[in-house]
Order: sequence, then C-alpha cells, then structure tokens
Amino acid sequence: MKAADFSYHEVVNLQDAIKIKAQDDEAVILAGGQSLLPALNMRLSSPTCLIDISKISGLNEIKIDGQTLFIGALATHSDVMNNKTVKDNMPCMIDILKMVAHPAIRNKGTHGGSIAYGDPAAELPALAVATNAEIIVSGQNGERSINAKEFYLGLFETAINQDEIVVGIKYPLLKQGQKIVFDEVCRRHGDYAMAGLIANIMGSKNDIKDLKLVFFATGDKPDVADKTARLYLDNGYDYDKLKNSLSSEIDFAGDLNSSSEMKLHLATVLIKKVLSKLEN
Amino acid sequence: MVAKNLVNISFTVNGERFNNVNVPSRQHLADYLRSQGFTGTHLGCEQGACGACTIEMDGKAVRSCLVLASQANGTNLKTVEGFDDEMMEKVKQNFLKHNAFQCGFCSPGMLMTTKEILLNKKKLTRDEIRSEISGNYCRCTGYQSIVDAIEECINEIN
Ligand SMILES: Cc1cc2nc3c(=O)[nH]c(=O)nc-3n(C[C@H](O)[C@H](O)[C@H](O)COP(=O)(O)OP(=O)(O)OC[C@H]3O[C@@H](n4cnc5c(N)ncnc54)[C@H](O)[C@@H]3O)c2cc1C
Ligand code: FES
Ligand code: FES
Repeated sequence: MKAADFSYHEVVNLQDAIKIKAQDDEAVILAGGQSLLPALNMRLSSPTCLIDISKISGLNEIKIDGQTLFIGALATHSDVMNNKTVKDNMPCMIDILKMVAHPAIRNKGTHGGSIAYGDPAAELPALAVATNAEIIVSGQNGERSINAKEFYLGLFETAINQDEIVVGIKYPLLKQGQKIVFDEVCRRHGDYAMAGLIANIMGSKNDIKDLKLVFFATGDKPDVADKTARLYLDNGYDYDKLKNSLSSEIDFAGDLNSSSEMKLHLATVLIKKVLSKLEN
Repeated sequence: MVAKNLVNISFTVNGERFNNVNVPSRQHLADYLRSQGFTGTHLGCEQGACGACTIEMDGKAVRSCLVLASQANGTNLKTVEGFDDEMMEKVKQNFLKHNAFQCGFCSPGMLMTTKEILLNKKKLTRDEIRSEISGNYCRCTGYQSIVDAIEECINEIN
C-alpha cells in the first residue's frame, strides 16, 4: 500500500521543530523513519503533517557526561554500534543492537526514535528501564529529564508532551561488579522478539546481590518483574514457581507470532537462559 | 499519483544529476526511482521486511521503501543499475558462478547487502554471512548458493 498525503517540513534546528509541533496537534516527528514509514505505507497511521528532524545537526552526539553515557537522539543504531565510547563503556548495548532489525535498517533507524516510539517489543526501551536511564526531552518550556520507568505509560504511550522532542538518553555508567545480560527468542535474526529479557545484575553467578529483570515483547511496555527477581534470589530456578509469579506480575499480551501463554513460557525459560550466561 | 503536497529536491542517481524535481511528499524513494526507469529496485513488502528495495544512499545500504523521496534531497544514490565497478562486476560473476541469481527478484537487494559486507572489509564465517543477509528474503535459492557466492567474494578481497 502507499502512504496517504501529508505536508512535509524539513527543519534544521530543534526550535523550529518544537514550534511546528506545538502549533499542530497532528504533526508527527520523522527521524529515521524505520518505524513510521512502515506504519504510513500500511496506512496504520495517516498524519497530515511530518516534521523531518533527521537533518538537525548536533543531535547525534555520543559522549560521557558525568557518570552517564549520553546518546543523542539522532545517532543511528549503526552509529552507536560502531562507536568507541559505547564499546569501552557499555559493550552490552552493541550486543543488544545486533538483535535490532537488519544492517540496512540500522543505518537509518535512530536511538531516540526507538526510545520515543516505545514499541513494547523493542530492545532499547527495555534497556533504558533496566539501567535506570533518563530520557531528555526538549519543548517550549525548555528541557526536562524523565526516568525511563516513568516514561513508558502503556501501549506506544509515553510521557512526551505534544510540543516535546526526545533529544538524548543518559545511561548511568555500570559500577564495579554490575552486569547487563540479555537474551531473546525470535523467528528470524533481526525480527522483533517473541519474548526477551534484559537483566541488570550486581554480583557474580553464585553470589547475586541485586537483580532487576525487565522483559520486552511480553506486555504493553517494558515489564519490570521485581517480585519474580526476589523469588529467584530466594529459591533459585524453579520453573513452576517463577511462571506463576510472572503471570501474576505481568499482563501478557499475545500477538501474531505468539499467544500470551507462549510468551509466559518463553519469559520463564529466558530467566534460566539469561542467568546461566553469568560467569563466576 | 494525485498529490496536493509536492517537495522540490535535487540529488544524484548513479552519477546522473536530478535538479529541482518535484516529488509528491507521500511518495517513497523506491516508487520515485522506479518511475524514473530505475526498475532494478524491486518492491516486495513496502514495510522493511524483505530487503528487495535495498539501495545505496551516501555510501550506506538503506531500504528505499522506508525513505521518502523528499528525504533524498542532497544525497548521492546508487541503484543496481550503477553497480558496474570492478568489485561489483566480480560479485556478479561469483553470483552467476554459484547460481545465486535465480528469478532475480531478491538480487538487487542481495547485491547491495553484499557490497556493504565487502566495503566493511569484514572477514565473516558462513553463520555470520547468514546473519548479515538475514534482512533479505530469497524465495528461490534456499540461500545456500548466495552464501557460497558471498563467501567466495570475501575470500577474494581478503
Ligand atoms: C523490518 C524491521 C524490523 C525491525 N526490527 C526491530 C527490532 O527487532 N527491534 C527494535 O527495537 N526495532 C526494530 N525495528 C525498528 C527500528 O529499530 C526503528 O528504527 C526504531 O524503532 C525507530 O527509530 P526511527 O528513527 O526509525 O523512528 P521513526 O520511524 O522516524 O519514528 C518512530 C516514532 O517515534 C517518533 N519519534 C522519532 N524520533 C523522535 C524524537 N527524537 N522525539 C520524539 N518523537 C520521536 C516519531 O514521531 C514516530 O512516531 C525494525 C524495523 C523494521 C522496518
Ligand atoms: S520492499 Fe522495502 S524491504 Fe520489502
Ligand atoms: S532468486 Fe528468486 S527470490 Fe532470490
């Protein structure tokens, strides 16, 4: 199918984008277009006005900012994967991005676009929640910072206001002894996951001091499972108990590829798969 | 195509300049290129999944169904019609040798993906080749012959 008609505005600075967005309720941001264009082509969405922010300079910076790794909204997935600062400070992000779509899509798709879109099956929103990242947005009243957990409200629903644009994400640098481990199940390398898990772990295999489990492609947003993490720490891996706990903690939502029952099973098994990757 | 909104753009395709052309804002780049005779760019899914429309934009592989024609303003594009340098002639020979062209529908995208692999100068195992081409569907070859061809290309340049 083909997209419906819309007006197209290419902007070269952030203030212009904010201005148009604030004036027009229907205006939609176009960054890499790798989620928006499929939706337009399939007529799942037909906005009347697109604001192309991809040519704003300076929004693709990647740097260490205090105790955080800052990734500018317009850095593409490929930019992030090939960046030395990311490699040195958060190599897990590169491993995770290898599972995000395919090379030609990663050449265009942006970090900020993935965070702002909030696809429940996407890896980066779950990583942001798992690492307690801050999402920096800019609007008519200036900048504000939103904690990732408060950013995701529901299915494709975020705390961004109509006049706001994501400008970057701040990931706290990992501390001594802290590890991010992840895995997912998908039908084809690069496809959206049927279920995935990112674990933020403090300690070693036989002595886990703190554990945070964040699932994706399970419910309507990144799903934090604190009770289940506690249960794992107290009792170790017990499939039935963990499955019970997950089903009470997460509202599993089936999709085309997998029923909610199947997602619950995959999520339970992922706990074992992910934690067995830990070294002593 | 009936369109109220037109955008005026300039860009280059395979070395040929396009100056101040009007494109409908809603038209994606693959449709625009095909309308100008670059029909080597194929359209399968128009949602990024099949890879048949993959072309080169400013030196990088992109899905031309997921880029608006208007976004091509100021860029340098290369389609399969322009894959005529020494390296790409070799790649095509290797695809022929291994019977990696069958119906040819996936071929422009497969060639572009191969080009990017070679430009990145990565030495890949067969499994890694499979994951690099995971975004390109082929309904004919069963992929084996394509992996054979790409493997030979990698061995030749490394
Ligand atoms: C075949 C295919 C497979 C894919 N597989 C995966 C996968 O496995 N995992 C995964 O995570 N992703 C996947 N993706 C999506 C890809 O990662 C997208 O690039 C990404 O989700 C969106 O980034 P974008 O820059 O392309 O955003 P766009 O498509 O330009 O925008 C997406 C949405 O976010 C909004 N937006 C974008 N940037 C901003 C901003 N800075 N501020 C405010 N709002 C903004 C837009 O208005 C739009 O609503 C896949 C895509 C395709 C086509
Ligand atoms: S037509 Fe573009 S990826 Fe299928
Ligand atoms: S050769 Fe027919 S689809 Fe690949």
